[in-house]
Formats: sequence, structure tokens, C-alpha cells
Amino acid sequence: MTRLLAAAATAALLSAGPAFAQNKIQIGCTATSDCASAMLAIDEGIFKKHGIEAEMVLIGINSNIPAAILSNSIQIGGPTSTVFLQAADGGLDLVAVGGASVMSPVTNNNVAAFVRNGITINEPKDFVGKKVGAPGLGAFLHVLFVKWLVEKGVDPRKVNFVEVTFPTMMDIVKSGSVDAVLTGEPFVTRMTNAGLGTVGARYAAELGRTEPIIFYAASRDWANRNADTIKKFRAAIAEAAPIVNNDREKVSVSISKFTKQPIELVKATPPNRSEPVLKPEQLAWWIDIMSSQKMLQSKLDLDKLILK
Amino acid sequence: MIPDRFKGLVFPAAALAALEIWARSVDLHSDSLAPPSAIAAAFGLAISDGAFLSATRDTLASAFAGLIIGGAIGLAFGIALGVFQVFDRLMEVTVEAVRPIPSIALLPIALIALGFGYRMEIAIIAFACVWPILILSRAAVQEVEPRLMEVARALRLSPADRVRKIIIPAALPRIFVAFRLAAGIALIVAVTVEIAINPIGLGAAIMAAQQGLQPDLMLAYLVWIGVIGYGLNAGLNLAQRHLFGRAALVGDPA
Repeated sequence: MTRLLAAAATAALLSAGPAFAQNKIQIGCTATSDCASAMLAIDEGIFKKHGIEAEMVLIGINSNIPAAILSNSIQIGGPTSTVFLQAADGGLDLVAVGGASVMSPVTNNNVAAFVRNGITINEPKDFVGKKVGAPGLGAFLHVLFVKWLVEKGVDPRKVNFVEVTFPTMMDIVKSGSVDAVLTGEPFVTRMTNAGLGTVGARYAAELGRTEPIIFYAASRDWANRNADTIKKFRAAIAEAAPIVNNDREKVSVSISKFTKQPIELVKATPPNRSEPVLKPEQLAWWIDIMSSQKMLQSKLDLDKLILK
Repeated sequence: MIPDRFKGLVFPAAALAALEIWARSVDLHSDSLAPPSAIAAAFGLAISDGAFLSATRDTLASAFAGLIIGGAIGLAFGIALGVFQVFDRLMEVTVEAVRPIPSIALLPIALIALGFGYRMEIAIIAFACVWPILILSRAAVQEVEPRLMEVARALRLSPADRVRKIIIPAALPRIFVAFRLAAGIALIVAVTVEIAINPIGLGAAIMAAQQGLQPDLMLAYLVWIGVIGYGLNAGLNLAQRHLFGRAALVGDPA
């Protein structure tokens, strides 16, 4: 399917006619805190200071971001590492242009396998035979959980995974349709406070990784034609990232504005750590675990995946 | 006694009251459900800040544009297939092979080729609207009273005049029923495209409200879509009766 999309994308690009360097860019992200550096750079006028006019576009499902980039609906997007690598593996000519969020000790603690009442998980092998809801199969939290199961000597094929989106998790756990969900904050706290169950495993904290969750990506063609804009974009993100990591008040306002989540809810959870620099070895870890989970078919060239 | 025209409102009103009582009695903790009073409050708030109206405009503009484009294509092909039997047989396999493709299945390709926005949504709605209009207008044309066709032959009308003066007037009430059916499909497909992919309109607003953990606002949009659908159907019904009088009863059991 992705190969078909790649062919369609090429056709679309060829029919687009001569393109010009642009100063107004649209940045597409899902309703999470991962692109907080871009949200804040807009709200605090950091992009403007660097000579870029930018706006955020709310994308419902992360896996739509590569197609949105290639259709030039957005010029820069925030795909998760897994979505980006699968798109690149499928032949879409995307390139990472900067870092957005990374796993960190604080935010790894926010990730949990939340288990409903009536189910007891004492050790990883207790997940065998259970129905576990993941926000997306092959998506970030699912891949991490499978990696954790493998490290703990549990065969992930013996766990039944189903897709459950974040906003429906609370009701699905309450109804008992799944035994556990792979989730993060604020959902863990909300479900705990509602008395729906307990945290079964803090698998991200146990893995203790620091690789990227989401990074900024563009089409290679657009990035090559807009080298100057990318340079300014990187400078603005580098300026915004420390504010994201240190000023909870400011960043919460920006996140709430973009995601439309109530400000109290946003303030209750620390945003994912912002890291503007993306290193090839960080992607190498993702490529390794995705290959071992048979999610990638081709051999990806690390040198080409990140724009120099 | 309740006047007849209000009888249809009894069930929704009772259901809303029951929902409100239930929601208050169970201390509802949900990211998907909200009591009707909260939905009404969210409705009032959203309508006052203009977001409701711009989302409605986006959805309706796409739905109507898709309906007009798809309707025109479906009507032209439907009449052509109905009039020329050879053409009908020639196209049979093609039409029956392409027709079952769910319009939503075209989303990934449409997104890459057309990008976010009206263009993609209109193209998908048009694709969905072509088929009911094509099939029903073909049937309508084929069922035109044979004696009318004999008259056309006796008058030696040209093919264009036959379509213009005999076939379209005779088949119009049925074609309008097809148009009504397609209008409902257009609205459904518009909202579905917006929920799945396109960040404009009422569907995207539903998704944004859901992801913003505002079930009251999400359900307010849902109720509003129901109201729009009801209004659209009522408007088209009225137009049908007004335009075609007794002939409007064709194909309409109501």
C-alpha cells in the first residue's frame, strides 16, 4: 500500500509544477505535547523572530502525517519514530529535519500498562492471554511494550492486541472490553482516580530509553528547496526547546491552545522532554527494534534519513 | 392532546430526560458520554464563538459541491446508459466493478494526490454520489412510458430533443428521489472524511473535541449534525412536493 502511495505521491509532485521557496509553513502534529517546541515558538513569536511565519495544523491520526507532508498540505510534520520509519521503508521520500520530543526519565514514568479491576498482573508473563488495547498497532507505545515483553522473555504473540484510541480508553476499560490498555498521562491518573484499575507495568520506565518519540520531518524535495527555511526552523526550535523543558506555565498554555485540552488537565502532566537535535544513532535503535519485530522490509540508510 | 406534528418529538424528549436522570444518578465519569444538560451548554458556547458556524459552512460547502459534481456526472451517465442500450451493455462490467469500492477506501490516495482541504473532500463525496444517481436515473429513464417514446419517434425528434423534451421531464420525479438519497450520502461521507483525515468541518471538530477530552462538545457537534441532516431532508422533501406535486409521490412511501 505504501508503495502505491509513493507512486501516487510522485505523480502528484510531478503534476504540481514549479514550486517556490516558501516562508509560511504549516506544521502538522497530533493532539499531544510532543510538538510543544513548535507550538511555543509560534505563541512566543520565536518563529517570527527568525523570519518564519508558521501555523500548527491539528492532525487526528499520526499515521496520516507522512501523506499530509507529501501532498504539501503541511510542510513539516511530527510523525512518531515508528510512523516515520515505516513510511520511509515503504518508499515515501521523507527526511527528518529536527528533533521534537524524546523519552526521558520523567516522561517514561508517565507511560503505563493500565490494568482493569479484576485482573492481576504481578509479572510480565501475566500479560499472556490478556486482551491489551494499544492506541495504534505498530505505533510508539505498542512497539515499546512488545520490546519490553521480549526483554522480559515473554512471547508477544501470546498477548492479544487490539486498537483503542486514547479518548475511549477510560470507557473501554470501565466496560471490561479489554484487560489492559497501553497509555500515558493524563489518562493514567484519570483512570486511577475513577477507580477503574491499577498500573500493571511501567514498561517505558523499565526500558529507560532516551530515543526520540516524535521528530520534525519534511519531504526531501521540499527540504532541499527550502534549506534556508529549515535553518531558521531549527534555530527557532532550538530556542523554544529549553522553554518547553523549564517553563511549565508557558508551555501548558501553548499545549492547551493547540490540543484544546482543558488547561488544568495539561498542567497536571509534565510535557514530553523537548530535544531539538536528532542523532542518527537514536534512529538506529528504533530501526533495530522495528526490524526485530518484522515491521521493516528494506534496509534503511541512516545517512539519508536525517537532513544534514 | 398533543397535536399530531409534535408527536414525533415525544420519544426524543423522553429519551433525553431519561438520559439526564441516569447521568446524574450514576455520577458519570466518562470521556465519551455527557449528560444532555452539559451537551446543551457546550452547544450554546460553541455557537456563540463562531466555531460551530465555520465548521458547518465547511462541511455543507463540501457536501453540496460534491453532490453537484457527482450528481451531474451520475445524471449524464445514467441518462446515456438508459437511452442507449448498447452503451449500457458496454459499461455494465466497468460500472459494477467500480461502484462497490467504498469511497472512504480512496482516502489515502486522495490525501496524497489532493492534500487536505475542500478539493479532496469534494472529490470523495462526488465519487460516492455518482453511483446512486447513475443507477436510479438509468432505471428511471428505462422505465419511461413506452408510448411516450413512440410519440418521440413519430414526431421524429432528434436524440437531444428526445432527452430534453420527453425523457427528462418524464423521469424527473424519480431522478429527484435519487438526488435526495445522494444528498444524505454526501453529508455522511463529508463528515466521515473529516473524522478520518481532513482537518476541516464538523467531523474534524468532533475529533478535536474528543481528543481534547470534551465529550459534551463532541456530542453537541453530533446532535448538530443530526439537526442538519434532518433539515436537509425536510428541505429537499419540501422542494420535491413543491416542484412535482402529485408526481413527487413516486418512489416515496411517506
